[in-house]
Amino acid sequence: MAQMTQRSSGGFRRYRWTELGLFILPIVILLLEMTQLLLTKLDPASTPDLRKFPSIQELTPIIGLVAVLLLAHIVLNIFFRKTDQFLLPLVGLLSGLGVLMATRLGPAIGDVNQGNKQLVWVVVGLVICLGTIFALRNRNIHWLARYKYTAALFGVILFCTTLVNALHANLDTPTHDQLKLGPFAFQPSELLKICVVIFFAAYLSENSDVLAEGGWRIGRLHLPPLRQLGPIALMLFISLILFLVVRELGLALLIYGIFLSMIYLGTNKLTYVLVSVAVAVLLGFVGFKLLPYVRQRFAVVGFDVVNWQNWSDADTHFASNAGYQVVQGLIAVSSGGILGAGFGLGHPGYVPVIQSDMVFTAFAEEFGLIGLFALMGIYLFVLYRGFRIAIEATDRFSKLLAAGLTSIFAIQTLIISAGNLKLMPLTGIPLPFLSYGGSSVIGNFIIIGILLRISYNTALERDGMG
Amino acid sequence: MQLDTFLLILRILFIVLLYLFLMQVVIAITRDLRRTSASSEDMDSKGPPVLGHLIVVDSGPTNILPGTRFDLQPQTIIGRGPTNTIQITENFISSEHTRLWFRNGMWYVQDAGSVNGTYVNNQPAREVISAKPGDIIRVGYIQFKLTA
Repeated sequence: MAQMTQRSSGGFRRYRWTELGLFILPIVILLLEMTQLLLTKLDPASTPDLRKFPSIQELTPIIGLVAVLLLAHIVLNIFFRKTDQFLLPLVGLLSGLGVLMATRLGPAIGDVNQGNKQLVWVVVGLVICLGTIFALRNRNIHWLARYKYTAALFGVILFCTTLVNALHANLDTPTHDQLKLGPFAFQPSELLKICVVIFFAAYLSENSDVLAEGGWRIGRLHLPPLRQLGPIALMLFISLILFLVVRELGLALLIYGIFLSMIYLGTNKLTYVLVSVAVAVLLGFVGFKLLPYVRQRFAVVGFDVVNWQNWSDADTHFASNAGYQVVQGLIAVSSGGILGAGFGLGHPGYVPVIQSDMVFTAFAEEFGLIGLFALMGIYLFVLYRGFRIAIEATDRFSKLLAAGLTSIFAIQTLIISAGNLKLMPLTGIPLPFLSYGGSSVIGNFIIIGILLRISYNTALERDGMG
Repeated sequence: MQLDTFLLILRILFIVLLYLFLMQVVIAITRDLRRTSASSEDMDSKGPPVLGHLIVVDSGPTNILPGTRFDLQPQTIIGRGPTNTIQITENFISSEHTRLWFRNGMWYVQDAGSVNGTYVNNQPAREVISAKPGDIIRVGYIQFKLTA
């Protein structure tokens, strides 16, 4: 009897209390925001009336999301008690805000059901996330390393479909990187980036000794042996093709960024990074000089928006044509100010593609600078946990895999928010978890699943098999 | 009170809750860090203790003398790379070949994704296998005997 109480108190203590505790505030926040969104549809001058308050039925989507999140929490509790406790609440809040924003933007862009669609994607994503943890359960994570060339091949196939698709389609349509599979439009790039990271992690963990020692020497520079450099050069080539043929500047930057951060993490040699950056800058400059399309993309970065009163006719023409999207986005951000217009009270309909590429400006307008800081804070915590999992992992492959997958989030968030704020050319990269879109949400949840799995493996080795 | 005042209150409440959540995460992370740093200090103060040995029984095609002893730490990685606890520079040993760790009085052996495999008493150790002193552990073509 005494033993039993001890055991139950042990189970009580080993419950994932931190995770449950961290779920409370996100749930309150999501319910509160949904209520606010429904209340904004009423007449603002009327007095708040309890009978006009949203009923349980109207709150169902968010309650459903909360239920699914708690269900995932319980599943983790039963099967993977020792896995990371911070990622799920953070990601849950982010994707919840994504669902709310999709609901809110739906009517503005003429797709009333957008919120529900996004909700379905998030639920599917969570299921796939848990599925990923289970799928990597019995074999260890090195199973992935063994299939690194399969991953690379799969990535190349995905890449080729994008390429063929892009050559068929009109390059000027914004969605030319989508792959149509029956009723679903699917973006191969979301899986491509995961394949790239798996390949790099496996490749670098096997060859890092060779790469770090360096085969060639020019003065104090170590150059890697050429044979080991082959696959890496191939990656570089792929991102260049992406940039020049498919005109996916964002994806090219993302893959090149992953390449840079992983080669630095894998070899601990700054030389490689500096050389690669120099090559990229050089090629970018050549591209800028030679290709009008690249100049077009960069034109908006140098455009002066603040001084709008002194715009010439050419400037006005630019702001209402090529630069329309970014300029409207900036207007939305500035109209949000510090405190924001309030959720559901802004005017996001003026910005083209507000639901996915420009969703950052929608958040900026309605939550204000202060809300954006909080959002960036949540992203930073996700990144912190990701790198923490990488540091704690016990073997090279897991370390590199976790760090690489986390850098995907970091680079993506950086590229798209900088694009939205006119610090970089705008590219069609989704903001992780907040942008509307099924493949992006699912891809991100696969990443979270792998991260959770790695942290579970680490905890198992640290605390024994029990 | 009008509805827009009420909405303003909701907005401020939202911001406050968002930052409260961030604070809660910071507090939880700090507590987590303190706990892990305390437990790692415990380990550091003793230094990596030697808990057992691997004695070469059959060195296969290599020049390692049978009878050579390798020390085992609580977390030991055998492989060709310089970062391993036990480094064996032979072609048939993978960069990271085998991982052994000691927990609750038992050794656990697992292959780290090597090409030529790891075996405990001729059983492939792709999954985690427990091992006890006296067992024969084969890493690639080298056979070791695990001793306490």
